[in-house]
Amino acid sequence: MMPSRKMLPLMVAGGVVTVIMGFVLVVLLISWFSNPPFGLGNAPPQPIAFPHTVHVAENNIQCEFCHRNVTKGEAATVPAVETCLFCHKDIDGGTVTAQAEIEKVRTAFETDTPINWERVHRLPDHVRFIHEAHIRYFTDDDIPIKYGINGEVLADTPDVALTCTICHGDVGNKTVVKPKTGQSLKMGTCLDCHKDNNVPTDCTVCHK
Amino acid sequence: MKLTRRNFLAWAGLGAVGAVACEGFGIRHGELDIQSSVRLPEDLVRGNDNWYASLCRTCPSCEGIVIRVMEGRAKMIQGNPFYPTNQGKIHARCESGLQALYHPDRISSPMRRTGPRESAEFSAISWQPNAMDALRTALQERGRSSVMITEPLRGHMALLVDRFSTAIGAEHLGFEAIDNNTYRAAVNNVFGQDSMPDFDLDNAAFILSFGADFLSTWVSPTRYLRGYGEFRQGDNRDRGMFYQIDSRFSMTAAAADKWLPVRPGWEGHLAMSLAQVIIEENLAAPGVNVDSLTGGDAQALNNFRPETIAPMAGLTAEMTGGDPVKFLKNLARSFAASRPSIAIGGGSAGASSNGLFNLEAIYALNFLVGSVGEEGGVKFNPGSPWDDVPSTSKVGGLEDWARITEQIRSGETKLLLLHGTDPIHGLPDSLQLRDAIIQADDLMVISFSPFLDDTSALADLILPDRVSLEDWGDDITEPGPGYQMIGFQQPVVNPLGDLDPLSFPDVLLTVAQELGKESQLPWANFKNMLREGSDALFELNRGSIEASSAEEFWNNLLKRGGWWDEQSTGPKSVQAPAGLLKTIAGKASSPDFSGIGMDADSFYLVPFSHNTLLDGYNGHLPWLQAAPDPLSTVTWQTWVELNDKTAEQLDVKEGDILRIESSKDSIRAVVYPTPAAPPDVISVPFGQGRQYGSDYATDRPAKESSNVMDILETTRVKDTGSLAWAGTRVRVSKTGESVSISKLEGDVRAVEIGLTPAEDIIKTIAPENA
Repeated sequence: MMPSRKMLPLMVAGGVVTVIMGFVLVVLLISWFSNPPFGLGNAPPQPIAFPHTVHVAENNIQCEFCHRNVTKGEAATVPAVETCLFCHKDIDGGTVTAQAEIEKVRTAFETDTPINWERVHRLPDHVRFIHEAHIRYFTDDDIPIKYGINGEVLADTPDVALTCTICHGDVGNKTVVKPKTGQSLKMGTCLDCHKDNNVPTDCTVCHK
Repeated sequence: MKLTRRNFLAWAGLGAVGAVACEGFGIRHGELDIQSSVRLPEDLVRGNDNWYASLCRTCPSCEGIVIRVMEGRAKMIQGNPFYPTNQGKIHARCESGLQALYHPDRISSPMRRTGPRESAEFSAISWQPNAMDALRTALQERGRSSVMITEPLRGHMALLVDRFSTAIGAEHLGFEAIDNNTYRAAVNNVFGQDSMPDFDLDNAAFILSFGADFLSTWVSPTRYLRGYGEFRQGDNRDRGMFYQIDSRFSMTAAAADKWLPVRPGWEGHLAMSLAQVIIEENLAAPGVNVDSLTGGDAQALNNFRPETIAPMAGLTAEMTGGDPVKFLKNLARSFAASRPSIAIGGGSAGASSNGLFNLEAIYALNFLVGSVGEEGGVKFNPGSPWDDVPSTSKVGGLEDWARITEQIRSGETKLLLLHGTDPIHGLPDSLQLRDAIIQADDLMVISFSPFLDDTSALADLILPDRVSLEDWGDDITEPGPGYQMIGFQQPVVNPLGDLDPLSFPDVLLTVAQELGKESQLPWANFKNMLREGSDALFELNRGSIEASSAEEFWNNLLKRGGWWDEQSTGPKSVQAPAGLLKTIAGKASSPDFSGIGMDADSFYLVPFSHNTLLDGYNGHLPWLQAAPDPLSTVTWQTWVELNDKTAEQLDVKEGDILRIESSKDSIRAVVYPTPAAPPDVISVPFGQGRQYGSDYATDRPAKESSNVMDILETTRVKDTGSLAWAGTRVRVSKTGESVSISKLEGDVRAVEIGLTPAEDIIKTIAPENA
């Protein structure tokens, strides 16, 4: 049945409202889920299968050997391809799969091709998170009691590797890196942790 | 719901909106990539920025810059605070050095022409062996009948190119579309100096400028702007007084206390008129030997009395706020009394057929007010600290380009080597250089340009150079700050992976050695040549860099961005040639406006250097295209400034397309009426109208982007042979076309009313009343 002429403006208005509401809903959903609070969107496919288990858990390579800037500045940084070649110039890998992945690294180095890793942990652009300050705080022996990201009391002063796990989880025992299960990295989480540890919560501490 | 056409369209629309919204708010592919670089240089701390000192090469003044580099990528350019000429400040042009580096239209590898010459069809070839073999063969077979055209060169690059040209038997000429040869000649004739002088604006009390847009584009604007800031608002001093005598309302004129529009080409007569008043009324500075200046002939300047000159120069009571004669006399009195005072001339004042007379007359005023070599006056620069390294650029004039065009046409020139220049865009069309190149039977053109332009589009071989942020270099600053100084340029990043450019000087050195020219060019690469220069500076044991070894000196030199020695100044005083004013008076002549003549329906055409594009060589850089002109705020387009009333008479309004026609050719441009244009003058910026290369330079239709050079008469400046680019008269006509003018200024124009004391603020006028 065709709508009557009287109904037409109402239908148009309804359509417009529906579009606007839908638009708002989409924006809200995307802004909420873009920082996955429930483990959504984790473990993106990487150009080279890099098992942290082999490097960290089995061979005890320290986090800061590859993430060279993590104790020095804002970004932890990913290693240059040349860093991989420090060892993989000689180490070929124990399995066929590993050998193939290591060969990709060597090829990238020989052909002067940078590797584009997919970011796993992400904070919004308006947040300034400085790795160095957090590691300096948590590894400071002079601070008697420290609290973790979820308010848990840390029994002893952690070392750098343990400090990384507070937010990133046990990366060293993960074959594929993904965010710490169930860990929120939202503003409220940051604020709670800052309050627990009695450190500044001024806006400009984190916001650019 | 029944599927009707209306419902179908509604749902399709909703679906489209939803799809766009979802896609728009999604994260773009690659946004979350973290790129790991390949190499791990020892000096690179990942995540931290490094700042490297270097030189800007987007304009000839070569300002000192520092570049922020993050993980091997240049991110930002700022002024080098230590660099004496620009002292931490830079022009907007410098910042676009990043765009040249990351430009999507860079030529990625050597290219060989595949189609007819004017087709601009090329195919990529490799450097080794193809490109280098082709270059070597061309030099071997045609070197003796070749011409090398480069940008104006100073420092070690000038030495290298000169020696290379000599070694292969080529003629080397620098090219500038708007050259400073007339200014150089005037400085040489009046002050006896080869280098451009410095102007101590910081300490001047009165600036009298003729035609030089020195706060925007003329010679070294950033240095002059710093000096101008001190001149107006410096601590512990009174605000200086500034008069601009100019046939166009330039940015500099807008900053002046008084702008006096003069009939184009009559600036020199006005300067001589001021000199006549100063001498007649005994206003010359104490100690000035007026007799020597006039050659003992006090009557020599009688022909330049204000009563005679004011009407010839087109001065009216409206312009001067009263009797023009009285105005000129008062100006001469103020200029002579407000010492230290300084007279500057350049730009359009030196670009008419009598340009040399104009500039000599203007600079001679400085002798009368005692400002030569003095604080607040004209200061001179010393020569190069290296014996064999040139400190001034050698630039060809229109006569040279006419000769070279003829050589190409006659087959005498068989090889054209080009670097850093686009002469086809930068020379008047009527010279027919383009036609000569296209029609030459046996001509090879090799361009070393990293971008395609109007001239390299005609090349047989394009060998892409590195851009300045990727390459070594140096510069003997001209004009210097009054003492010896040298800037050093270092590569701060490597070329991106998909580009394969080679440094122009390195290519020259490599091919020179392959041709057995090691005795003239013994260096393995340009860096070694510069390092040798650094070692020679270290041996001088003076200047700003302290070091205990040559190695330490080199490192400190690069860290600081250059070397300078404040004790090694130019001549402190210069003796005026005997009878200088009499000699200049003898050269006086009226400007020549041949072509369409002086008909009442024609206008003076006063082109001007674009604030950011300059003569057009920066046309491919979008930031510089989008940077609004300081006065009209127009971007991206070629506009024509004409008086409001003239526009009314022609029945055109803003955005209309006007045809501008000389005896040579015609162009079209977008109308920008302004109350600040003299009624008998129209002005068009240089810089647009490129035919080949990047879309940013070429993607507008001819009515919006045209090259004013195409319609200029080939009148030459007497005794210098330079192009008299302000020596053309034109007719204008409506085309009936109209476009939306691309400008930042709103529709409600802001003009200064100032009719009564209460109205001396900027007021806005509604469009209907404007």
